[in-house]
Amino acid sequence: MSDTVAYLLMAWLDPGLLLLTGLGVLAGIYVGAIPGLSVTMAVSILISFTFSWNINNALALMVGIYVGGVYGGSRTAILLNIPGTPAAITTAFDGYPLALKGEAGRAIGLSTVMSVIGGLIGVAVLAGTAPYLADMALEFAPRDYFLIAILGLLLVSSLSGKSLARGIFSVALGAVVGLVGMDMVTAQPRLTMGSMELLGGIHYVVIMIGLFGVAEAIYQLHNLAKIPVKQKVSKIVPPLNMVLKFLPLSVRTSIIGVVVGALPGAGGDIASLFAYDHAKRTTKNPSTPFGEGAYEGLVAPETANSAAVGGAYVPMLTLGMPGDAVTAVIIGALVIHGLNPGPMLMIETPHIFWFTVGNLALANIFLLVFGLTGIKLFSKVVEVPKAILIPLILVLCVVGTYSLNSNMTEVYWMLGFGILGYWLKVFGFQMGPIILGVILGPLLDESYRQAMSSVGNQAGDFLLGLVTNPLSLVLTSVITLVLLSNTPLKPWLIARFKRG
Amino acid sequence: MTKPVLTRLAIAVGALSIVGSAAADYPERNIQGTIQWGAGGATDNVIRSLTPHVEEILDTTIILTNRPGGTGVIGMSHVMRQRPDGYNLLFGAENPQLYPLMGLADFTYDDMHTVNIIGQGLVVIATHPNSPFDNFEELLAYANENPGELRMGGTGAGGLPSTIHAMINAVGDLDVRTVTFGGDGPGVTALLGEHIDFMPLSLSAVAEQIRGGRLKGLAVLGAEELDSLPGVPPITEALPEIESFLPWGPFWGVFVHKDTPDDIKATLEDAYEQAVASEGFQEFLVNFGGETLNLSGEEAQQYLDSWQSVTAWSMFDADAVETSPEELGIPRP
Amino acid sequence: MSKKIARVQAGEKLFDWLLLLLSIGVLYEAYRIDGGLRLNSAGSFPVGLGLIMLASSAVILLSHRYKRRASEITTALQEAKTFLAEHFKPPIVAFTICSIVYLIAINWISFYVSTFCFLAAMFTYYRQGRVVSSLVITTITIAVIYVLFTMVFRVYLP
Repeated sequence: MSDTVAYLLMAWLDPGLLLLTGLGVLAGIYVGAIPGLSVTMAVSILISFTFSWNINNALALMVGIYVGGVYGGSRTAILLNIPGTPAAITTAFDGYPLALKGEAGRAIGLSTVMSVIGGLIGVAVLAGTAPYLADMALEFAPRDYFLIAILGLLLVSSLSGKSLARGIFSVALGAVVGLVGMDMVTAQPRLTMGSMELLGGIHYVVIMIGLFGVAEAIYQLHNLAKIPVKQKVSKIVPPLNMVLKFLPLSVRTSIIGVVVGALPGAGGDIASLFAYDHAKRTTKNPSTPFGEGAYEGLVAPETANSAAVGGAYVPMLTLGMPGDAVTAVIIGALVIHGLNPGPMLMIETPHIFWFTVGNLALANIFLLVFGLTGIKLFSKVVEVPKAILIPLILVLCVVGTYSLNSNMTEVYWMLGFGILGYWLKVFGFQMGPIILGVILGPLLDESYRQAMSSVGNQAGDFLLGLVTNPLSLVLTSVITLVLLSNTPLKPWLIARFKRG
Repeated sequence: MTKPVLTRLAIAVGALSIVGSAAADYPERNIQGTIQWGAGGATDNVIRSLTPHVEEILDTTIILTNRPGGTGVIGMSHVMRQRPDGYNLLFGAENPQLYPLMGLADFTYDDMHTVNIIGQGLVVIATHPNSPFDNFEELLAYANENPGELRMGGTGAGGLPSTIHAMINAVGDLDVRTVTFGGDGPGVTALLGEHIDFMPLSLSAVAEQIRGGRLKGLAVLGAEELDSLPGVPPITEALPEIESFLPWGPFWGVFVHKDTPDDIKATLEDAYEQAVASEGFQEFLVNFGGETLNLSGEEAQQYLDSWQSVTAWSMFDADAVETSPEELGIPRP
Repeated sequence: MSKKIARVQAGEKLFDWLLLLLSIGVLYEAYRIDGGLRLNSAGSFPVGLGLIMLASSAVILLSHRYKRRASEITTALQEAKTFLAEHFKPPIVAFTICSIVYLIAINWISFYVSTFCFLAAMFTYYRQGRVVSSLVITTITIAVIYVLFTMVFRVYLP
């Protein structure tokens, strides 16, 4: 017991570890804020860099960068409508409208506090239930991932704005783009139009940067001369009653975040989409309508994506299986440092588990400090004249896309998606559903084919599986309910129910 | 006016690059290293633990970039398009040896210069602990009685499981449903959750799961039992004829452009030979579930050729590919 | 931009027709993967998605029947004019063309040189010819990018 406490507090008491964690968080915020620079990349650079270090030091730095990076993605999402990471896409939906109203400071402040709350809930769940949660995550069969992807696609109704047909078109378009490249099973090229460069597919961050970054930049050229809104920077730290008001929502969305994060096939990006949808469905009277600067629309994704960090560590620390791309790289780091990540890790080297838990909590405290300082300066970004900001955004998009895979072709694609995104935006299409399709399309295709192959391509057995397995049955029921509640059937059903 | 200036500039730049490629004091700047697989995978882990040793020997920095995609085609074609000055290295796995056979690309490692074949991975056929099978022989017998019923995890055409499956089918018969995953990781996860019945995997991906009792080994791909996996029988017990394909394993290597100056090739070969032999890396590789090869020059070429011929012909004999290796000039083993 | 969706925008109908064409193109490419419709193969999802795109773009086109053009637009020529005036304003056209030239130039004259030219040109143009201050901002930006990307994050730029 005393050992556990000692490991838990190790990072808090050792000045060197404190410094490294803090440094990691600070660097992570910037890595996360710049679209294209990913936490995965930063952590894999660190592996070579920290090769000769003590393992605790290396882990402290990586945990810091991870926590900072997941949070940092919201910065540019709020300030420029360009999500720094895919997990921050939903943050932009309501964060950017807030910035346009002069509330960038308040939005960043709130997102910081909420990220920390989500992060700490994630750590608590990790510490308390890791082995059970990991076993639960393993229960998800390909069939269940298929159902999750379907459930995700139903979010289109809350993301597509006024025209559902346009929303559905956008989702399908996104999914088609997501499927470009070599087929996973047969290795035959799909939709590549004979191009070898496209064999590897189009990275979804490339599409994200194009659709959000470049499209937004071109769109903004319409009001080049408009003087930017003066930002209110006096009230940055959200008042306590505001935090308390959103606490029930943030606890719920954090739980969504942890659970989705713990699933080896889904991460913070999907978690934040589900959380946003949950907030939209359950909030009766938002502060302002969703999509126009609702605080609830900011709270949900921010808590969920931070909580997903704790979730992603669950399968990694208990089973040695990665919960997402970053934990996959951290597993690599453990291997290189001579540790054996696997089911024996918690038994043979329990200190790694408790050290990580303590360190994650510490990183969240640093996040609160670094996140709330310097907001005034950051908010000024919105006040930079458009004439300077827009060319800069393009350069940032180019650097960000290139640094992803050092591939110029992807930069061309990024610009192409930017121009396409501009026209789609002009004619009433939303960017959200496209990204939804890009993220979920491949998951849907993959899990469907795995599920079908598992039952020997018998469609009947496949459909039977969706209702006979308890877990699948729950997911199928949820999907049916969501579908019913979205159709004209709902009032009719309610009316019948009341009469009956 | 501008034209002569431009011409002179071009000449100057050209001259500079010629001077730059003279190898007298190679390396005089950072080296770009391209890993043809994603971050966190087996190739990535091996390369990232080897690189610091090489950096020390060459006294330079190797900047590693992951360029995954298209079974490694993308990363490899990138390095082949760079200038042959020794400042662009390719770190790859076994897959390029099968590109022409699979119709993925028309080049193989023969179109590059091999600096070092670092080592090869050991292969285990694994299942979950609740499985009724205790060794591969029992599984084979069951599969023969109930064809097309067991679910085998795979990683797609040309992946390790599909190659092993082809080898087994070349000498025996194994009719199963193949469920394809994005890599070893997702496959192991599905195996842990008992969503598939068995999967051929690299030892590095499952050693810890087996040791922790979360998975169980049915057979090792080899003629003898492994010290690190006591109690797991060699595959030859179930299928003696498979020995003609052994030893076989997925390998990792370092490659450089074919037209690189000879003295630079020699410098690199020397540095990598030392680094692979270093105590620190050896310790890592054993722990990782791999075997050292440390081959360069003629030996490396022989290894690559025999690997290609064994794999290609076993896949052809098992009807896993349509193109005949003969058409591609790959001799029968 | 106009918030009233019910009023059709200049060029909207043409754009929606283009989307329909895109859907057909996707469907054709998807069909070629398997050369047929199968339940579980590489082509099953792409074909399904192509069909969804086709159906939804048809619905979008049908919805035009319930929309009206802006009252001041009566002829196709007028619509084309409005469209050009709205979306082909000099700043937008200049930005798009410069971006494309910039991306092509990166391959020829390295990232830093082309970025410098691009930023200097765009700043000067958008800020109505204030050359000196534009050059200063450009230089600062390039320095920041160099320090951040090349030195700190060691990103290799072309």
